[in-house]
Amino acid sequence: MKIYVTGIGVVSAIGSNVDEHRYALEAGRTGIRFSESHNLMLGEVPQSDEALAKRFELSGDDHSRTALLGLAAASECWAGNKPDGQLRTGLISATSVGGLDRMERYYLQAKQNPSLDIHPLMIHDNGRTTETIARALGITGSYIGTVSTACSSGANAIMLGARQIESGRLDRVLVGGSDPIALFNIKGFSSLMIYDPDICKPFDDARKGLNLGEGAAFLLLENERSLSQTGNTPLCLLAGWANATDAYHQTASSPEGRGATLTMRGALAKAGISPEVVSYVNAHGTGTDNNDLSESAALKNVFGAAIPPFSSTKGFTGHTLAAAGAIEAVFCVLSILSDATLPNLNFKTAMKETGFVPETAFRKGSQIENVLSNSFGFGGNCTSLLFQKLH
Amino acid sequence: MYITAASTISHQPTFRNKGFAAGLTVLARPSALLHPDYKSFIPAMNRRRMSDVLAMAMACSVDCLEQCGVAQPDAILVGTSMGSNFFTKTFLDKIANASGPMISPTAFILSTHNTIAGQISLFLENPNYNMTHTQNSLSFEQALLDGMFCLQNGDHHVLVGAADESEDVLYNLNARLKTMDAHATCGASFFVLSAEKSAASPPVRLVDVGSFGLIGDDLSPYVLEFLQVNQLTPDQIDLVLYAGTKPATENALRRMFAGPVLLDYQVFSGVYYTNPAFALHYAVDLLTGERPPPVGNILICNNLIPENLGLLLIDTENARHGTLD
Repeated sequence: MKIYVTGIGVVSAIGSNVDEHRYALEAGRTGIRFSESHNLMLGEVPQSDEALAKRFELSGDDHSRTALLGLAAASECWAGNKPDGQLRTGLISATSVGGLDRMERYYLQAKQNPSLDIHPLMIHDNGRTTETIARALGITGSYIGTVSTACSSGANAIMLGARQIESGRLDRVLVGGSDPIALFNIKGFSSLMIYDPDICKPFDDARKGLNLGEGAAFLLLENERSLSQTGNTPLCLLAGWANATDAYHQTASSPEGRGATLTMRGALAKAGISPEVVSYVNAHGTGTDNNDLSESAALKNVFGAAIPPFSSTKGFTGHTLAAAGAIEAVFCVLSILSDATLPNLNFKTAMKETGFVPETAFRKGSQIENVLSNSFGFGGNCTSLLFQKLH
Repeated sequence: MYITAASTISHQPTFRNKGFAAGLTVLARPSALLHPDYKSFIPAMNRRRMSDVLAMAMACSVDCLEQCGVAQPDAILVGTSMGSNFFTKTFLDKIANASGPMISPTAFILSTHNTIAGQISLFLENPNYNMTHTQNSLSFEQALLDGMFCLQNGDHHVLVGAADESEDVLYNLNARLKTMDAHATCGASFFVLSAEKSAASPPVRLVDVGSFGLIGDDLSPYVLEFLQVNQLTPDQIDLVLYAGTKPATENALRRMFAGPVLLDYQVFSGVYYTNPAFALHYAVDLLTGERPPPVGNILICNNLIPENLGLLLIDTENARHGTLD
């Protein structure tokens, strides 16, 4: 069964829609800036909560930024589509923050003033943010789900959508992820001491760590039956996917890249293709010492001496956590549509352990047929997706 | 597919107490979580570092795998509405109380929703498919459905569970807001879903799982269609275990199900978002007990949040369609 990608939508520090992302990727323009208020390099989305809420006619303080960013991406992706009783339509989102951005504000204030209104607690659960997106788009009475596996969440939501279609339970499904920058995560990654004080340098020998980012992205997946009803033009195929666990450490990746090796091989096997025909790999490449070394080992395990063109786009957006897998999936679709590999910003010197040199330019040339996207998260959770050009 | 192991830690004497369902009484208020002696399941050193939700989930997982003699499940799937709430709160407290830039990362790294599934994987050194579903009251149903996909794709045994903790003030407040008179509790239930039946008799089949979000104010069409897809009519259901906002849920179910026994399972479990997993274990225990009641098809109807509907259908092979052999 073929799973068609027929829509994309994205918001991040480099743009508020797909076109702005394409221009930024082509121009090599990062969205990561120094944040005075947090004294940190961050990939922030410039739109305020108020502006986003107004755009979607949502009232007051009731909606977490997770839902607002998610809605910005999902509504771009869903544009031109409508509910259809003949098609079983679902929505699967991913988030690690959920309503925590609102809840943390309340919680920290309530420590000072215990008589505060407890209303903001009602938006703490992840599912609530997904429901806000679904309701606004008119996707109701069907499978509306949330997966949360830390930084691999977005890729897992996409995979789960494909599995739903494959099982025959859904005809089309909007899949993606959303995470805002929350104080909780700013302090969390700080406690792990894995920030690059400057802009991140994935796969560089002098890399020092990651930059946090925020954003959201959604893809519309359809089966043949849905396509014949909607008349949508497919952009490409989601041809393979796999999830596995590193089973090594709660937060660190194994030196030999066990989980990542399993998922890249699994996604290739699911698509029924061999490693030689992979045109480009959009790596997880957070810029931390541990991730980039472990992921490089996995690339070597899967591709041997013939490493395909690869890059990390975290230097554009920062690490957007649960949104990363979805944002980078949209980048993979853009890579296929533009027949271009995407640049790995801020790379100067190859890691001494590997000598690997990532793509450093928006390079048009050979046809981009098969693109792998990697996402890894806490709990050793690893996922790879394979997108394929449609002929 | 078959439910070949089940394990629950709750406010009731459910843990390693086969046949508990027959003697279960209405949960007294207030009630407390009945912690087992974790030593037989988790090394004491590990337990000290775990929150209650992690300890419960781990003990239930180990118990389940022991019951069916499966060393490594082909997948680990967890549904949790609030995830690792204890460590989330702990880390927020650290942020609030920090006097300098340095904060210990321990609570942070254990705060993600997938800490439960991830820690089970680490504990078992299990490299397989690992997923965490967090759709408030539908989290367990979504994990179970994912587990069905795994078996349909060729897996033999998958570990599926639900866990939520409630000693945490945030969760209690949240639960109270949803159902003001609710008896907020907590618990964990894990199951092994297998492609083949085990020697346990009678084998209990998981027939189907439904997860429907934003259904509006009438669950009836969803329930009827779910039954129809499974070639059943309401009068072929022998027992309906339900949770909902009285009296709307109960009234809607009474209109649909004239014959079957309707039972509000929350009088046993108390209220937490993944309590349909408690109901599933209750149903499995009824069907596999010493003197199973004349019950064939059991429907678990979760309408905990009025707009959301979870449906679980189980049966025993020798009792299909309401006519017991």
